[in-house]
Amino acid sequence: MSVAVEMKAIKKSFGANYVLKGVNFTLEKGSIHALLGENGAGKSTLMNILGNVVLKDEGSIIIDGKEIDQLRDQKVITGKIGFIHQELSLVNDLNIFENLYLGSELKKGFLLDKKTMESKSKEVLTRMGVNIHPNTLVGELNPSYKQVTEIARALLKEAQVIIMDEPTASLTDVEIEGIFKVIQTLKEQGIAIIFISHKLNEVIQICDSYTILRDGDVVATGKVGPEITERDLSTHMVGREVSSDDIYSERELGETVLEIKNLSREREYKNINMYLRKGEILGVTGLLGDGRTELFASVYGANAPYEGEIVVNGQAVKMNNTNTAKKNKIGYVPKNRKENGIVPDLSIKENLVLPIMKDISSFGLISPQKQNSLTAQYVKKLNIKVSDTKNKITSLSGGNQQKVVLSKALCIDPKVLILDNPTQGVDVGAKMEIYRQIISLAEQGYSFIVLSNEVPELQKTCDRVYVMFNGEVRHELLHDEMDEETIMLIATGGSIAE
Amino acid sequence: MNSIKSINFKNFNYRQWLMENSALVTLVALVIIAILIQGDTFLNTRNIVNILLNNAIIGIIAIGMTMIIIIGGIDLSVGSLTAACGLVALWVMNTTGNIFLGFMAAIAVGVVVGGINGTLASRFRIPDFIVTLGMMRIIRSLSLHYARGGGIMIDRSPELGVGGFLAFSGTRIFGGYLPLPVIYWLALAVLMTIVCNRTALGRHMYAVGSNERAANLSAVNVKRVKTYIYMIAGALVGVAALVEASRIGSMNSASSGTFYELEAIAAVIIGGTAISGGRGRIWGTVFGTLIIGVINNLMNLMQLPSFLVGAIQGTILILAVLLQQLASKKEKQF
Repeated sequence: MSVAVEMKAIKKSFGANYVLKGVNFTLEKGSIHALLGENGAGKSTLMNILGNVVLKDEGSIIIDGKEIDQLRDQKVITGKIGFIHQELSLVNDLNIFENLYLGSELKKGFLLDKKTMESKSKEVLTRMGVNIHPNTLVGELNPSYKQVTEIARALLKEAQVIIMDEPTASLTDVEIEGIFKVIQTLKEQGIAIIFISHKLNEVIQICDSYTILRDGDVVATGKVGPEITERDLSTHMVGREVSSDDIYSERELGETVLEIKNLSREREYKNINMYLRKGEILGVTGLLGDGRTELFASVYGANAPYEGEIVVNGQAVKMNNTNTAKKNKIGYVPKNRKENGIVPDLSIKENLVLPIMKDISSFGLISPQKQNSLTAQYVKKLNIKVSDTKNKITSLSGGNQQKVVLSKALCIDPKVLILDNPTQGVDVGAKMEIYRQIISLAEQGYSFIVLSNEVPELQKTCDRVYVMFNGEVRHELLHDEMDEETIMLIATGGSIAE
Repeated sequence: MNSIKSINFKNFNYRQWLMENSALVTLVALVIIAILIQGDTFLNTRNIVNILLNNAIIGIIAIGMTMIIIIGGIDLSVGSLTAACGLVALWVMNTTGNIFLGFMAAIAVGVVVGGINGTLASRFRIPDFIVTLGMMRIIRSLSLHYARGGGIMIDRSPELGVGGFLAFSGTRIFGGYLPLPVIYWLALAVLMTIVCNRTALGRHMYAVGSNERAANLSAVNVKRVKTYIYMIAGALVGVAALVEASRIGSMNSASSGTFYELEAIAAVIIGGTAISGGRGRIWGTVFGTLIIGVINNLMNLMQLPSFLVGAIQGTILILAVLLQQLASKKEKQF
């Protein structure tokens, strides 16, 4: 097979921070190549260099046998490399073909040539093996078709290489299958695909080869064959053996601390009944659109009004705003850290103490000592890797940002902690660390509600799981009853025989 | 510790420092240019005091405007509100003969109108621009109606005894050099800097302006914070109105306060506060106000046609934002 992209001895540093220390990366035509590594290993930087978002310091890039100059050959690169970001860049109020041709519209005289654009779009979609009409409004598409649209846009520009940054992170299993089919089709047409993912089972399922980065170096690269296991890959990623041991152990559970009675909110969830005991780790799972995120946003007071009752420690509480939840000792770690979790213009410590600013003030002034000591306490407790807590929070890697967001929820001294997708975009090593933290906190008497669509995550941590479908609780499973097939079956609307 | 400090020093980010202090740097450069062109005519106590005094009123209003813009809002009603607060204050003083009541009335009107603006913008989700545009028209119209299109003068008759109000702005301290309004302005800037940097409300203000969703999910009562900030800004307008009423001895329902909102917004933006919210500092605005003040003064001294003042101011405003944009674009690439 011939080579699509070759990157040789790529170096890059940001200030004193060496992110890439001479990385070699070879991508063959018609192959799916997994790019793996923990957060902060240098994956994004490498791909940003290939996609010409970031300039390299040293090294060479060869595309299609020609050495590329990042400044001179910008057009060549943007044409040949299609970068599909995690945050899609589509306009919801335009339809598919309008999105595909956005910025490079075909014209007949002064007017748009809609017919040609539509038929050419249809061609590309067919080529990908997807059967949707190019006239469909993008806002009406489900997440996987939005990704398909994004890929189609790259193909329309005759891209030879498609970079996919965690394409399956927000997709359901059915949608993932669909995307994989599209990727396979493209591969057969000679297109090279770089697949960035934290889900190692997917890597083994569809990738042909892999490259693993750690701390800016390539630590392993090769073909994905039957002899390669998930454990091999994760060992390389973290540089040590990851124990996938069963870290779950049964705990003594206390009285009921939180009860949800007949909770409903129009078009989001209906007639929800749940309870949570002291020291319990409760999982809530389902597919995208099951209503769990909206439900627990309501429990946290961020999604009012609702019908029904939320009972905290035996007392019905009206959760009108997030401050009420805080007063009732309910903490919350939202999903989508960037949109909901961090305040980009504030420093690390200012983010961390945000919910308790009033409590660490005396005579109206925030006490710097209390702020510093609290921050130091959580940096140590959660092992946050940080050089100076005065820096902007955006200077941290994703995993460490997530730990700050978790600290922020912990610092209100909650009795109940709601974690929505707590390990989103967090690498394998850090995931286990977060699970251990959750379990040890539960042993200290904290109660948890973990919203997740990753069954292994639930198996490792939860005492009990509610499975939701279409805004309703479909089933309640105890720890021993949780297996992937059962949960999938219920979450897709099926029922299990009693 | 020591080694960390020295590394930080070596990596001192000049560009970032310049970006954060662009208003101060511009002001210093401008003053140097002014001295070079005009020499003693510019650089004498009288002239400098004049610049400070002439900009104190806009300066005080711009402090509140800074906080509103940091929280992601904008307030177009401050100009009309200045007139309204001044009229109410003078009316109260003239009818009750009590200066203190007049003060309270002006500040109360400012706080109440600010509270209405803030509540409508936060609780009822009407865009700040629309709420305050409407409020600007409402207040101006009510003022005109009440004063029959004219103004109110302070009653100087000794029997009433409110003539002393003129001393509020008229007094000069430090051997008759420094007028009190300048002191009010700088003192309020210090006070509001403390509020911004050291209180929970100030921190919440930055958080809401930077990422409202995250702030809300961090148990920050976003609506209340917004309303409070508008109320503080309203109170500052009340103070500014008192300074103006005392300086002139009267207030006019048609002409007082016109375009103050635009001048205040310009000062805030030139001072380096991001129009998108989340970033900005009170002192930047003080410098921004002075930049406009020095330019006006310079044009005056050079006897340039006064009709061109607006053109120069507009150019500087656009340049300031242009520079901010260029700087933030560069920042993103790294």
